[in-house]
Amino acid sequence: MKINVNKRDPVYVQVMRYFKEQIATGQLAPGEEIASRREIANQLKINPNTAQRAYKEMEELGLIFTEGNMPSRITMDETILTDVRKELVLEAVTEFIHSIQSIDVSLEEAVELVKENYNRKRAD
Amino acid sequence: MLEVKDLKKKFGRKQVLKGVSFTAKKGEITCLIGINGVGKTTILNAIMRLTAINGGQILLNGESITKKSYEKITFIPDAITVMPHMKISEAMQFMDDFYDCWNEKRATELLDFFKLNANDRVSSLSKGNTAKVNLLLGLAMDVDYVLMDEPFSGIDMFSREKIAEVFTTHLIEDRGVIITTHEISDIEHLIDHVVLLDNGRVLKEFATEEVREQEGKSVVDVMREVYQA
Repeated sequence: MKINVNKRDPVYVQVMRYFKEQIATGQLAPGEEIASRREIANQLKINPNTAQRAYKEMEELGLIFTEGNMPSRITMDETILTDVRKELVLEAVTEFIHSIQSIDVSLEEAVELVKENYNRKRAD
Repeated sequence: MLEVKDLKKKFGRKQVLKGVSFTAKKGEITCLIGINGVGKTTILNAIMRLTAINGGQILLNGESITKKSYEKITFIPDAITVMPHMKISEAMQFMDDFYDCWNEKRATELLDFFKLNANDRVSSLSKGNTAKVNLLLGLAMDVDYVLMDEPFSGIDMFSREKIAEVFTTHLIEDRGVIITTHEISDIEHLIDHVVLLDNGRVLKEFATEEVREQEGKSVVDVMREVYQA
């Protein structure tokens, strides 16, 4: 488990993104216990303050919850979970559109190429 | 909170520090950056009163530093200061004999973390492992603030990575760290606070996450702007 830290985005945001990806792909299930702040700092090789900040933000967004002294868990709220996936998909699509528009590719051509390459890429 | 206020220092006629001010908080990693000869080590020496100052103040939690304050601060110089013929275990015992704040448990954890062998003699160690022993001896102290002078300088990549890894563990958690370095790229995602120095002054002081969040800039981007302006 590791994230490739990008030096121009806040690290806590990158940690949140890591969790969102884990949630969206089902690697972290609803209600599942997550690593402690200290463990995650060590696993992701980040500063424990940053881990703390990321958990605090995720708690505020309702992505995770903590009961008493128990380990934090992934939310079971369906709406939030669906939104996480939507957000990641939309982000990826927006980035893709941006890239193809900057090299003047039409929607039709892009769709055609996506269809042609989608399964091949997945098989790689 | 450790505050350096308007610190001035002369060596002969040369004014090395011309009024340096910055703050280091407990639980944060503060990085003093500047080219060699800019006075980074002098600042650390001044905090530790290893050198007399010509003006300014150093405050710990709002109060002037006293002899007692040094039970809360430790300094890890850039070269090892224990006798080279000592075994690592003997160096650890030496520290235990001399310092009340020596934490045996943490020392053993650090030994394990750095994969050092307690029976090795300090003189037989590689440069990287010598640096690790040096850090072990400082970090094993139960203090609130740790000052590290150039912990990454002149050692191999893997040792640098291992030393940087300390900053991701409980071995450093909750303490205030002041580190001087010019090799920033390995650790820029690990530090909380940066003080850019040049010509005896602070050119800029900032929080790393804030600069990333508000300006989309890396620490190196800011350094380029400030030093190459």
